[in-house]
Amino acid sequence: MTRLLCLVALLLVALAPPAAAHVVKAGADLRIAQTIAGSELTLVIKATTRVPGPLRVEAIGFPTAPELDLRLRSVADGRVVRGTVAPGRPAQLGVEETGPHELTVSAGGESAVIPFRVLVDRGSGWEFLIYGGLFVAALLLVGGLLTGAFNRRGRPAFVVTAVAAAGVAVAALIVILEPWLPAAAPDGAEPRPTDSAVGRPYVQRVLSTVPARPAAGEEFVARVELFDGSTGRPVDDLAIHHEAMAHLVVTSEDGRYFRHVHPLRTAPGRLEVRLRADRPGRYLTYVELERTDSGGQLLTGSFTVTGSATATAATSDPAIQDASTAGTVTVTPAVPQAGRPATVEVTTSGTPRPWLGMAGHLIVRSEDGQFLGHVHEMGTPGSRLRFTFGFPAPGRYLAWTQYATDRGITTVPFTVEVPR
Amino acid sequence: MMRSKGLRSLLVLAGLVAVVVAAFIVARTSDPTPVSTTGTRYAVTVTAERNAIDVRVDKGQADTVTIDSVMLTMGHSMPEVTARRTGPGHFVAEGDDLFLMTGAWELSIRLTGPSGEETLTLNTLVAD
Repeated sequence: MTRLLCLVALLLVALAPPAAAHVVKAGADLRIAQTIAGSELTLVIKATTRVPGPLRVEAIGFPTAPELDLRLRSVADGRVVRGTVAPGRPAQLGVEETGPHELTVSAGGESAVIPFRVLVDRGSGWEFLIYGGLFVAALLLVGGLLTGAFNRRGRPAFVVTAVAAAGVAVAALIVILEPWLPAAAPDGAEPRPTDSAVGRPYVQRVLSTVPARPAAGEEFVARVELFDGSTGRPVDDLAIHHEAMAHLVVTSEDGRYFRHVHPLRTAPGRLEVRLRADRPGRYLTYVELERTDSGGQLLTGSFTVTGSATATAATSDPAIQDASTAGTVTVTPAVPQAGRPATVEVTTSGTPRPWLGMAGHLIVRSEDGQFLGHVHEMGTPGSRLRFTFGFPAPGRYLAWTQYATDRGITTVPFTVEVPR
Repeated sequence: MMRSKGLRSLLVLAGLVAVVVAAFIVARTSDPTPVSTTGTRYAVTVTAERNAIDVRVDKGQADTVTIDSVMLTMGHSMPEVTARRTGPGHFVAEGDDLFLMTGAWELSIRLTGPSGEETLTLNTLVAD
C-alpha cells in the first residue's frame, strides 16, 4: 500500500512542471505614473473580479491635476467604452471579457495608450480534485452505510469503501502536493510556457526632441524610441516598474535643471513627454525601464537646447525649490568614503505620502554624468527620509531627493563631495 | 485468501487514483488556442501550430496576409511568410520553418486589401 502510494506520489511530482513565477497577478491593482498636461499623477486600474463586470479606474494626483478622458478598448473584439476620471472622482468602465485591453488616457491635447490585460483568477484547478475527491468519498460513505445496512454480503460494501478511500486518497495527495503543483494562470493572462526563461534581449534607444533643436523657454517633446537589440523591432513589452512604464530623468549638465517624469506611450515602443528648459546648453537624459520577465535597464542620451536663457522659467518652476524650505539634508559620515555605505537623511516639510511605491526617492548623478543612481527610502516613520547609498568612486555628486505630500512633489537638490 | 483480497483492494485503489489524476492532467493540456485581435480596419483569429498558421479574417476584406514572428524571450526573429488564401477570408501559412522552437511567440499579421493596410500583433503559445 505504502509503496504504491509512494509510486503515485513520485509520478505526480515527476509529471508536474516546476511552479513558474507569474509576473501578472489577478487581483492586483495596476498603478501607472504618467506626466500628462503638465501634471504628475498616478492612474490606478483596479483589479477585476469578474467579467462581464465593472473596471474601476482612479487617478491619484495633486490639487492641480486635470480631468482625464478615458477610452477603454478590448484588443480581442474592438469594443470601446469611454469615461472620465479625476482625483477623487473615479471612473467605472464596463469590461466584457478578460485578455488584452488598451486604455487611452487624454488631457490637454496629449494622449497615452496603456496596454494591459484584464485578469480574473479562476482559482487553482487542483482544488477541483481536492473537493471532488472529498465529495465522492462523502457520498459513498453514506452509500456504504446504507449498503451495509441492507446487504449482508460484503462485496458491494467493499467496492463502495474502496472508491470512497480512493476519493480521500486523491484529496489528501493533492493537499500534500499542492505547493509543488503548477498554479493555473488567471483568465486573460498572456500565453506563456510554464518553464519560460527569465531575461530578454537588451533595449536600444533613439532619443530625439521635437523640434530637433528646442529653444530655451519653449515647450518641446522629448521622444524615446525603444528597439530590441536582437530583432530590431520596437520594444513594447515594458513591465510596470516602480509604478511606471519608464522613468525619465533629465538634467542640465550643471545640474541646475532636474526633471523626473513618466513619459506617455504614444505608439508601440515610443514614449513621449512635454518639457520646457529655461536655459540653453546640453541636457543629459536617463531612461530607467524594465522589460517583462527581465531586470532593470538604464538608457542614456543627451540633447541640446538653443537660444538664450529665459528669466521667468527658473522661478516659476515648481520642481525646483529652495533647499531651506523643502528640507534639510544630512549626510553621515559627513565626508563619505567611496565604496562604503553613507546615509542621507532629509527632514521633510509635511508628511510624505507614498509616491511611485516609496516614501521617497534619491537620484544621484556624478558631476560628469557618467553615473546615475536611483535610491529608495527604507520606510522611516515621521517627517524624515533616510537613504543608504555607497558612492561608487571619489568625485562630486549632484543629488536630488524627491517626496510627495498632499500639496505636490517636492525636490530637494544638494551636492555631495567624495574625497580621494 | 485475505492477503490476495487486500492486495486486490490496493490495486483497485491505486488504479482509481491513477485514472482520476490522469484524466485531470489530460483535461488541463489542451489544443492550440485561437487568438482573436481587432484593429481599426481588420479583425483576425489566428491559430498557430508548429507547422501551420491559420488566419481567419473576421472583419475587413484582405487580399494578402503576411506574418512575421518573434520570440521575445530569446530575441529570435523569423523571416516573413506570406499566407496562402484557401477561401474567402481564410489564409494559411505552412512549412517546417515557421518557428525556430516551441514557446511563446509574438506574431505580427500584416493585412492588405480593399480595407487598407494594417498590422495586428498578438501573442500565442506554439507547442509541438
